Amino acid sequence: MTPLEGREMDDRRSRYVIDWGHLIFLAAIGAWVLWYLLDAISASLNIHNLLLVAPLAVVALCLCLAILPQCFRRAGEFEAEPSAPDAHGASALGSTSLRKLAPVGGLVVALGLYVSLLSFIGFDVATWLFVLATMLICGERRWLPLVLYPLLVSLVLIGAFRVLLPYPMYTLVI
Amino acid sequence: MLDVSAFWEALHIIVASAQSWLWIVPGLIVGLVFSAVPGISISMAMAIVLPLSLYLEFFPAIVFLTSVYTGGVFGGSVPAILMNIPGSPSSYATTFDGYPMTLKGQHNEALGLALFSSTLCCMLGYLFLLLMIEPMAAIVIKIGPIEMFVVALWGLLLLGSLGSEYVTRGILAAAFGILLGTIGMNTAGYMRGTMGIPYLLDGISPIPAMIGLLAAGQLLTLVTKDFIVDGGSSRTVSLRRIISGCLDTFKYPGVLLRGTVIGIIMGIIPGVGSAVANLISYAETKRAAPDGDTFGQGNPKGVIGAEAAVASGEGGSMATMLTLGIPGHGAVAVLLAAFMMHNVVAGPSLIRQHKPMVYALILNNIIEAVALLAVGLGFIYVASNVVRLRTRYIVPVVLVLAIMGTYSLDGTIAGPLTLFVFTLIGAAMVRYKYPVAATVVGLLLGRMLETQAVLSYELISGQPAYILRRPAALAILAVMMLSLGVSAWSRRRRRRAAGTAATQQSTGSAVIGAAH
Repeated sequence: MTPLEGREMDDRRSRYVIDWGHLIFLAAIGAWVLWYLLDAISASLNIHNLLLVAPLAVVALCLCLAILPQCFRRAGEFEAEPSAPDAHGASALGSTSLRKLAPVGGLVVALGLYVSLLSFIGFDVATWLFVLATMLICGERRWLPLVLYPLLVSLVLIGAFRVLLPYPMYTLVI
Repeated sequence: MLDVSAFWEALHIIVASAQSWLWIVPGLIVGLVFSAVPGISISMAMAIVLPLSLYLEFFPAIVFLTSVYTGGVFGGSVPAILMNIPGSPSSYATTFDGYPMTLKGQHNEALGLALFSSTLCCMLGYLFLLLMIEPMAAIVIKIGPIEMFVVALWGLLLLGSLGSEYVTRGILAAAFGILLGTIGMNTAGYMRGTMGIPYLLDGISPIPAMIGLLAAGQLLTLVTKDFIVDGGSSRTVSLRRIISGCLDTFKYPGVLLRGTVIGIIMGIIPGVGSAVANLISYAETKRAAPDGDTFGQGNPKGVIGAEAAVASGEGGSMATMLTLGIPGHGAVAVLLAAFMMHNVVAGPSLIRQHKPMVYALILNNIIEAVALLAVGLGFIYVASNVVRLRTRYIVPVVLVLAIMGTYSLDGTIAGPLTLFVFTLIGAAMVRYKYPVAATVVGLLLGRMLETQAVLSYELISGQPAYILRRPAALAILAVMMLSLGVSAWSRRRRRRAAGTAATQQSTGSAVIGAAH
């Protein structure tokens, strides 16, 4: 290793990188816990109200502070940290590769749209669209399954739930 | 203990009521199918078929409903093992080792273990109930908030055995879960964290939240895979291997027995039920096992421990319902409603006046458990074919079923919305290595922990010696401490043995090196 290369490596080691995603997530948890504590206090200062919530919220906030330094790492450490698959197979979510994360993000968006559109475009049409979108996200490109499977799933499942459930279910076609 | 003449009369009732036998298999199938759908609870399945039972006589009606219950208790473990999504909260601990077994291509064995431990311990639970039904009422009536608080604490001990790469993140995840579990109006009438949303008055519904948290880790990951199990040879479905898994259950009699005892005790306590029992049983099985380090990586004992407690808890909760008329949870409440619809009042008078009928119901549940073995075998053979399907066909269907299942809880969009919000939280937790399991456990126990803490505080306030007058609470505390002590001692022993082995190995290699 040349002296120049050595100096570059030292520079990289001394440089800190912020894991913005983790920082935002931790801040969100901390903010929610703080808000919840204040909301509980504003409801009442009675011991019956705060017996568990107050001490636990304080502990959670202290833990947020303790975890905070973990969002800042030396440059090399993030690269070295492997996204090892665990026993439950959650490796794709831990991946930094856009190719792996894109379908995950796509499915989350599809799920969000499905849930929010259920009451507006009907359970049947929303389910048909969701199944179609999910199949495309999962890599299906053959037109016959793309036409038949979403149709079959929507008809069978929504039809069955309509018969079984005692609650009204808004549908557009079925 | 057992009234022999009433027992013979009970046998006569069962033999004479041929119609009731016809309802066992349909009931089991309904229970298995419904509870295998994530989000649809056993009580929901029972409520759906409740009107049908009105057209039957009392005994066949109850046999039908208890068959749905028995099938439902096991059904939840099928998606837990095959897809890491429990059908109900009571199958949650089954995912810890069941799904890793599936990933290793051992789904046949895992399902066999779950089925056999479930049926065997269900029978043991009812056998215990048959012998102890009369003295049970006196015991159950003495259980109060202090005992339930101690039980909730015991459930939280599971967190220690979940293991996390970062301890601080694990504790934060648990605290976050418990706090989420306390949202809404508490037992003293104070309202917190509802943001003015009426759906949150009763707190966050744990079923959609649990599915959301777990679906994030699982279904979102499956998007990038072609099949649940990698490697074509691992995707075989074999009845022979399922049966071999069933028989493997006998290798662990201690695990079965421990799970059964925990399940019965937890089942008896109203409001605790199998959702807590399976967590405690899993944690205790792991603590006591010499190979505890391999739990979470597909250890069969983890599956057996969790399933044993869930199945035997059924007998425990039936005991409370029959002896006191108190429904411990939703499914038993539906059963109690069926009793009322047939003008039968459960409680001490039922045992006094209709003991043969009570015995007949208990014996019939044992028969249902035997029938479950055959019906369940066929069901898991069909269900395990899910590993042969491409994820592009499974993922959309499971998500639609989960959404519809959560909608079916109260017929509002609150369930699906909760599922989605918790999917986002779960995705972030998985990405930043926060153990989702800790949040789920916290969420399941949070409300119970707070309620019982407040009630216990009221009871103990000003007289700390009151706890000494609660022998049951002291006994549970003692068992908890003993279990923690034994686990610490065995961990120390294992570490010492590993240290000695490492020393011997290094000495051995040094000697070989010197010889060369």
